[in-house]
Amino acid sequence: VKIAGVDVGSTTVKAVVVEDDRILWQDYQRHHTRQAEKVLEFLGRLEAECGFESGSDAVLFTGSGSGFIAPLVGGKVIQEVVAVAAAVEKLHPDVSFVSEIGGEDMKTIFFASAGAGRSKQVYMQSACSGGTGTFIEKTARKLQIPAEALAQMTYDGQALHKISSKCGIFAEADANTLVKGGVPVEEIIASLFEAVVYQNLATLTKGNTPAPQVLLLGGPNLFFTGLQQAWRHHLMNIWTERKVPLPDGDPDALIQVPQEALYYAALGCVEIGKADAESARYRGTDRLVWWIEQGQHEQKAREGRNGLVAGEADMVQFLKKYAGVSGARGGLAERAQKSGGSTEPVIVGCDFGSTTAKAAILAADKAVLFTCYVQSRGNPIEDAKDLMRQIREAGYEHIGALALTGYGKDLLKDVVGADAAIVETVAHARAALHFFPDADVICDVGGCDVKVMILRQGAVADFRLNSQCSSGNGAFLQGVAERYGVPLEDYAERAFAAKSLPALAMGCGVFLQSDIVNQQRKGWSAEEIMASLAAVLPLNVWVYACQLQNLRAVGRKFVLQGGTHRNMAVVKAQVDFITGKVPDAEIVIHPYSGEAGAIGAALCALDAWRDGRASRFRGFATVESLAYQTTTNEHTTCRWCPVNCKRTFIDVALPGGTGRAWSKVPVGEGFERVISGNSCPKGLVEDVNELRVVKARMEEAKRAYPNVGEMVRAGAFRGGAAAL
Amino acid sequence: VRILTSGRWFAPARSAAAPRRSELRVGIPRTLNIWSTHRFWLGFLAALGFDPRKVVFSGDTAEEQGREYGRGRGTVDCCYPVKCMSGHYGELLFGQKRKIDILLSPMIRSLPSFLHGQVVDSLACPRVMAAPENIKAGFMKEKDVFAAQGVKYLSPFVSLAEPPIVPKQLHGALKAALPDLTLAETQKAVAAGYAALDAFNRQMRGKGREILEWCAANDRPCILVLARPYHMDPGIGHEIEADLQAYGYPILWAQYFPTDPDLMDWMFGDDVRSGKLSSPFDVKDVWPSSYSANTNEILWGAKAAARVPWISGVIRFVSYECGMDQPTLTPVQKIVESSGTLFFSFQDLDATKPAGSVKIRVETIAYYLERTSAGIIARKKGQIGSPGPLLAKETEDPPLGEKAPTQGDVGVGVPA
Repeated sequence: VKIAGVDVGSTTVKAVVVEDDRILWQDYQRHHTRQAEKVLEFLGRLEAECGFESGSDAVLFTGSGSGFIAPLVGGKVIQEVVAVAAAVEKLHPDVSFVSEIGGEDMKTIFFASAGAGRSKQVYMQSACSGGTGTFIEKTARKLQIPAEALAQMTYDGQALHKISSKCGIFAEADANTLVKGGVPVEEIIASLFEAVVYQNLATLTKGNTPAPQVLLLGGPNLFFTGLQQAWRHHLMNIWTERKVPLPDGDPDALIQVPQEALYYAALGCVEIGKADAESARYRGTDRLVWWIEQGQHEQKAREGRNGLVAGEADMVQFLKKYAGVSGARGGLAERAQKSGGSTEPVIVGCDFGSTTAKAAILAADKAVLFTCYVQSRGNPIEDAKDLMRQIREAGYEHIGALALTGYGKDLLKDVVGADAAIVETVAHARAALHFFPDADVICDVGGCDVKVMILRQGAVADFRLNSQCSSGNGAFLQGVAERYGVPLEDYAERAFAAKSLPALAMGCGVFLQSDIVNQQRKGWSAEEIMASLAAVLPLNVWVYACQLQNLRAVGRKFVLQGGTHRNMAVVKAQVDFITGKVPDAEIVIHPYSGEAGAIGAALCALDAWRDGRASRFRGFATVESLAYQTTTNEHTTCRWCPVNCKRTFIDVALPGGTGRAWSKVPVGEGFERVISGNSCPKGLVEDVNELRVVKARMEEAKRAYPNVGEMVRAGAFRGGAAAL
Repeated sequence: VRILTSGRWFAPARSAAAPRRSELRVGIPRTLNIWSTHRFWLGFLAALGFDPRKVVFSGDTAEEQGREYGRGRGTVDCCYPVKCMSGHYGELLFGQKRKIDILLSPMIRSLPSFLHGQVVDSLACPRVMAAPENIKAGFMKEKDVFAAQGVKYLSPFVSLAEPPIVPKQLHGALKAALPDLTLAETQKAVAAGYAALDAFNRQMRGKGREILEWCAANDRPCILVLARPYHMDPGIGHEIEADLQAYGYPILWAQYFPTDPDLMDWMFGDDVRSGKLSSPFDVKDVWPSSYSANTNEILWGAKAAARVPWISGVIRFVSYECGMDQPTLTPVQKIVESSGTLFFSFQDLDATKPAGSVKIRVETIAYYLERTSAGIIARKKGQIGSPGPLLAKETEDPPLGEKAPTQGDVGVGVPA
């Protein structure tokens, strides 16, 4: 009797056929999310190439896709770890530690002698991309490294950089930053290997020491030379550190990567099948064919949920309420035209974000007179000049008060002579409360981050920010629309057309991408997938990105703002989601969705102006003729982390400027320094010299205002010697 | 309680040759409830004849510490404050210039609490109590790392809320390691331990009172932190409150809130006289199931914050997935906010400080405190009516810093 073991993994199908302990046939192929089709193809080849027969031979399946396929062809399902362990026990009786890394999962097995036999402990995780093959491949694809080259890249001898080991998306962002910083790709890939080994050791050893002999299995362990080197490096370290006794001879031989490393799960199936071939009798491919041709489509129909709109009436009602809101429609550019100018004093708020800078002009009665924006060009001084020029050209000459918010607020405050630098949460809250005085929650979904602000007693009581994870933000939606060739303006219309949609799983963007491919394969159309992405977005925003399970506890009046809420399909999904959780919720779209920050800053500036304070604004002429010198050299390079951003120091000539005598790039009095070109807030501090100055200033403030906790930290453990 | 004997420096037959206590180095992990019982252990050991200079605490929790000393030693999944203890054990076992002889990691079942007697009980979180067992397992699985390092592992089970039974508990647990230890000696040492802890707590409450009096005299706001004691660990609470301190707000912690009778009477006297509360330290009006010492103190702190005008803001710290804190989130917020006091909570604290969002939140909080504190103080003064004992003394008001405690002050002597 012939026994086939088929491992239906997340990226490949692997199969072996064994008869009388002899391997008759083996192959593996990527299935490109068509698991059933690839299995059908393999079974067909088995029948043709080695006379595999239904009714007499046996087939056993393992892997993430085995569950639905096995019953269709009469096979038996073996849990993956069990299968791998069976093969290892048979082929390598002296192995104590096994790591098997797959495309979207990872496993470890520890064997120990127990009495006459051997006991084993197994650990596995498949919920997160960290530590799996996808983790490496996703970033390698982004860096455009061909598969053959990736396989040859080394770990030994490469400088390593810090890359988040926990999540594929964080890692990709880290890799991007490293690339920007000019780090060679070889070092980035080596750092990825490091991260994968670290993640496996950190999460899947659970107090066990991986002792020799060691077996490395699975595609990534087999194909990536560098990953093998990383394992060797870390295992040797652990053995030295924990004084694990090593047998004589070549220590490298203690870590093996067998040629059949891919097939161990399949081989294990065969081993298990030998004991009981009867229950795994192969029944032929008829039902599998039926499933591929019909069954999966019927399943599609069963699994789908209803479209974004429940019917004509639902749509009409929704549009009546939300379609008229200007913020949901017109862009900034349109409104910038509507301006007449004024000789009365006006209040200006500017929002210096990471990609754009925006300004809003308010009249003394808080009416919004004018807004404008510039795409940031990396020099905040030029951005500020540009905004001021637009304001002057629009006919507003008399600035009563000026406030800044956003990323660049502290840098520019003195340079332009702003009356206040307002933290962005406060600015947003102020703007929301101005239009909706009873607002409880502000949900701002931008292109690359998600912010939720919870208001109580007129203050931002809680704030959730997620700028690390692509799930939930608008860029992901935009990416998918682009892939389908749908302009963003048409997204909503297309999505509303879908009558039913696939249920996408909330969560990690890496897996969401493969889920989309999977659903497409089941026959879901572009419209339906786009609709389902909009439908899953609220879940990703509130639950996954912001960790807010209980919406009812945060309030009942929700303000939606940020660019992504211009997409009415997203608004519809948000409205349905929120109302589902909070039945009496009132959901509104901010009328100035994108400029809320600038308007909020202006409202804060208005307070100061009402108090009768004169503005510190330096005047249009001064700002537009600001003279500055820029320095970019080895002394301006940021040394806070290995990315080493090439920063530029912009020294602006200002009367009363304090200068920076202590700096490596000293500048005298009469100058203020603005730093640009950094990729994170840490880079706004020059170096340890400035940190010392900043710390000293903080310490002084702290000395004047004691903290009981600090006294406990400093005093409670004394009397004991200092540790270390 | 299991005591692991390495047998290297102690064997009953040779007990006469065993080193003197004063020569032994004792390592204590600076984690969990050690953060509220530190001085008890120092005082206790000193009274037993250990040299206080040879009692070492592990360092502050840090991710590097976990990577270097605790990696791969995790056992069951649990909250970070427990999980990080592996790094502390590892640091004490492998990271000391001079090796320790004893690793002392008590399983503290119940805690000394200023509310004890007015609450149902003063228990520790069960996970926290059992943490030493959990963490020890990671150092025992394959081989006995303590024995290999020549370290005696002592993990006495103690009910510190019940002083009468503590000597017996500690004597029972320690006598295998200290064969000449007598119960009478242990009794004295336990008393010394409580005395040392009391003295330290009194001193900290005194500092709290100084802060409140200065705020009252100057009509200035301060911030109260509601958190578990281990949130004082810079690796657990990430010193977020210190960022606000730098904006010019003195910081009180509920655990060290002053409890002087005059102050308690001003804050709670009416409620006690009306029968609503049985004592100023009664929390049953807001938290009837008052079993947990740390939780009780947080709830009591919320009530205190609501009553003191100069506390214009409360900061709450909660570690990620803390099952003990979860049910208290809404009650604590409601109590504080009902008085018009600002309330901000930092939930889901974990190994890394989310520096970017914390910076924005701290700036946000500082903005609202600056704008609204004066109004909050005035409103709360109106609510409580009488000016109260904090204002009774006519004090000159030098900047707080001039009379502020310095580190050198915090030296309640450990008995030599």
